Amino acid sequence: MAKDSDRRDLFPGALELMILQSLRLRPMHGYALVKHIKQVSGDLLQVEEGSLYPALQRLLREGLLDSEAGTSAKGRPTRIYRVTDAGLRHLEQEVSSFEKMFAGITRVLAVAKT
Amino acid sequence: MTFLSKLFRRRRYDDLTVSIREHIAERADELVGEGMPRAEAEQTARRAFGNVGLVEQRSREVWQWPTAESVFADIRFALRQLIKSPGFTITAVVTLALGIAVNATMFSMVSAFLLPHLPGRDPQSMVVVSSVNPDSQFQPDANPASAPNYLAWSKDTRVFSAMAAADEYRTGSLAGKGLQPEALTYAAVSPNYFPVFGVSPALGRAFVAGEDQPGRDHVLVLSHGLWERRFGSDASVVGRVVRLNREDYVVAGVMPADFRLLGFTPQLWTPLTLTASDATADARKNRSLYLFARLAPGIKLEQARVQMRMLGQQAQQDYPAIEGRWGAAVRTLPDFLIYNFGIGTALAVIMTVVGFVLFIACANVAGLLLTRAVGRQKELAIRMSLGATRVRVVRQLLTEGVVIALLGGGVGLFLTYFGIRVISAGLSFNDAIADVKISLDTNVLIFAAVVSLVSAVLSSVAPALKASRTEINTDLKSEGRGASSGRAHNRMRVFLVGGEIALALFLLIGSCLLIRGVSLIEHQKLGFNHDHLLTAGLVLDKARYADSSKQIQFVRGLIERARQIPGVEKVAVASDLPASGLNSVTFHIKGQTEAHSNDQHTVADVVVTPEYFEVAGVPLLRGRLFTGRDDATAPHVVLVNQEFVHKYFQDRDPLGKQIQLDVARASPAWSEIVGVVSDVKSYSEDARVDPEVFEAYLQRPVASFSLMLRSTVEPKSLASSLRQAIAQLDRELPLLRVMSMDDVIEAQKNGDPLFTKLLGTFAILALILSAIGIYGLIAYSVGQRTHEIGIRLALGAKASDISRMILRDGFKVAAIGSAIGLLMALPLPKLFESIFHGLVVGGPEVYPVVLAVMLIVAFCATFGPARRAVHVDPTTALRNE
Repeated sequence: MAKDSDRRDLFPGALELMILQSLRLRPMHGYALVKHIKQVSGDLLQVEEGSLYPALQRLLREGLLDSEAGTSAKGRPTRIYRVTDAGLRHLEQEVSSFEKMFAGITRVLAVAKT
Repeated sequence: MTFLSKLFRRRRYDDLTVSIREHIAERADELVGEGMPRAEAEQTARRAFGNVGLVEQRSREVWQWPTAESVFADIRFALRQLIKSPGFTITAVVTLALGIAVNATMFSMVSAFLLPHLPGRDPQSMVVVSSVNPDSQFQPDANPASAPNYLAWSKDTRVFSAMAAADEYRTGSLAGKGLQPEALTYAAVSPNYFPVFGVSPALGRAFVAGEDQPGRDHVLVLSHGLWERRFGSDASVVGRVVRLNREDYVVAGVMPADFRLLGFTPQLWTPLTLTASDATADARKNRSLYLFARLAPGIKLEQARVQMRMLGQQAQQDYPAIEGRWGAAVRTLPDFLIYNFGIGTALAVIMTVVGFVLFIACANVAGLLLTRAVGRQKELAIRMSLGATRVRVVRQLLTEGVVIALLGGGVGLFLTYFGIRVISAGLSFNDAIADVKISLDTNVLIFAAVVSLVSAVLSSVAPALKASRTEINTDLKSEGRGASSGRAHNRMRVFLVGGEIALALFLLIGSCLLIRGVSLIEHQKLGFNHDHLLTAGLVLDKARYADSSKQIQFVRGLIERARQIPGVEKVAVASDLPASGLNSVTFHIKGQTEAHSNDQHTVADVVVTPEYFEVAGVPLLRGRLFTGRDDATAPHVVLVNQEFVHKYFQDRDPLGKQIQLDVARASPAWSEIVGVVSDVKSYSEDARVDPEVFEAYLQRPVASFSLMLRSTVEPKSLASSLRQAIAQLDRELPLLRVMSMDDVIEAQKNGDPLFTKLLGTFAILALILSAIGIYGLIAYSVGQRTHEIGIRLALGAKASDISRMILRDGFKVAAIGSAIGLLMALPLPKLFESIFHGLVVGGPEVYPVVLAVMLIVAFCATFGPARRAVHVDPTTALRNE
């Protein structure tokens, strides 16, 4: 698979962050989650299924997500994922640390430009 | 992992599958919505998702404790696979089990002899100080020390915090109320002996300071074995009076059962009394004390060595005449015991041999695995195309290897249990050996486990790597139609078979050389007539036979009475039995000035009665034998053997020459050589002949000697009459051992018969295993080539061409393997002669004979498959697959 220069790899933790943030809006099943992230990012981010499902399992294991039996829009059986309280707390922590990091990176880049 | 959590996890995995299935379905629906045909949409959605199995597996792994689950799965899978092909499994497991069992069984001896349990506190800081005799060929640096040296060296407290002395090989008679008189070996030890080791008695007390003084020294400590055997484990034995050497001794204590030093088997201990006479220069000649010392805190072995080397040189300077080139050496206690016991080399050879047997077994199993992997090529290709990584496939194949090896290890341990029983029964040829208990201990268990894993790696790594290097496309496509198996597999097979043959040949040659060497020694001419000879050992104790006139009187009476026993022809007494070891002394030749004290002559000294030479059948070559007139009042005379004349008189006439023997407490008179007798081997188990000198018993009586009876009847039938005859002379005097000379020689073979039996067994095992290996691999390659053979036959090849082709292939490998094995075996005779003292490795004839046997076996192993190949029916062969 040739590497697309426009689309770079996510840094560690970014996928989990986006999953938690998306599911915070409303509980979703896997396919809906992929579509949601793609739409919201304006096609800039594409989540690979190969990383999504292991990431979901990781979050489940750590108790940041919960899953329950449900049906998709078309009425097929699937799993619906929702954020737990622990997940919300984790999300807030991560977001604030990300924001600090972004702020730092932005400043450094800004200084470098002048 | 509990049953519940397993169930729970199973459900979670099902949930995951449901999620993924829905994901793909929804994407497909969407594509259909965009106008794609359903079938194409589904395929596109699937392709976009990627490898479902892989994603599922990775998602599951999130939950798994570091891949343990997949290891369990691998093991389950491996077991299923093995159960499916029982023929392969049983062959592989039994092959490895044999390899592991012989290794573990032999290792039980290593564990018992070389990792001995050492008694007492902190045995690592215990050392043994010994005398070094540079002129001795056998263990020159493990000689006991003399009393004056002990007294001098034990004063040096800078490197040793304490030093104890033990005169280990005393013999005496034990009697007492309700006890039959019994001859036993015991040790006389300095009172600090037990404290230096840091052991305390199981019952009563050990010796206390001052009990080495005459008058207070009549106390003894019993060994646990003697206490059990003779005193019925009676705890009230402490304080009881027993008779040792006709004197009353008080039992002070009993040592615990685990106080045992490898190679030393005293039945009891008495205090060692050292008097003024033990401090004289003359006493330096009597080296009988083993010195056990504890290093002072903070002192390293090397420092002790330096110090002892210095003290040894000191003694040389102070007493050049006696100490000569003698020195002092230090070894750690375990090191000394193992060295002194001298079983190390034999064990090393045996362990090497069984190690090779294991290699051959592993090569067989590797061949089997390789063969199997070729058959599973398609399965592996499918698994890899489904997303299994190479690592995963190798792991699966290795797991199979490990499972086989562990099964082999289990069966092997079971066999080891019996092996050890057989070995223990065989290892009873002397007291010291019988005293060492061989068991399936932790060391052996750990060893067996390690060997199993090593053999798993040896046998399965190469085949697993080879098998995993599968080209998915070619293997899936070309499956079956290939005329023969791949070149790479062939090369590996050739390597395995060649290696097996080389190892087996090497082992066979090595074993045959050793067996031949031992049998040459066994059948050598000893130089005397050893059949119809009864022998018995006697030790005249000081209590009743204090002075030499009493000893002479007893010996006269003994010979007189023994001669009257019906069936006895002649009777003699000798300080040492012929070919049973020797007592080496230094001597001087009159008129010969020795360049310096380092050049001292040594000779084996034997004291005999005049009839000795007739009884033993040693012919007189020149001069005369002893007569009854050669007694204390007559001038000292000696006889010498041919080797003596050869070595010290360069084969010139020695009659009339005078020599002086440095014998402790003997009159330093010059003795005249009056006769030359023919050579007798110094040891029945060695080809060596040493210079020997014979003294007349009447001129130098000794208290410890052997009685020899030449009989006209079966010698052992005279034993009871002999006992009666001696009881008439002295009721309390025990006979040490009553054996025919043939039995003495048999006993002197020590472990040799067992050693050669073991070697022979292992060599034959190696031969059989490698024959099976050759057969299996050739048969397999013929099977693989059925198709090719079919084509050849269809194109007009004759049956004889085919069988010749197969035989040629087999022979080529056998020839290469044999050549390597022969080359490896070439330096063996030199190696064996350097490590086995006294062994003369015979016959280069071993090489061609063993080579022929090996090639015949290789031929037979190839012949079966070759014959079968000829009977291939071209039509079925071509239709095959």
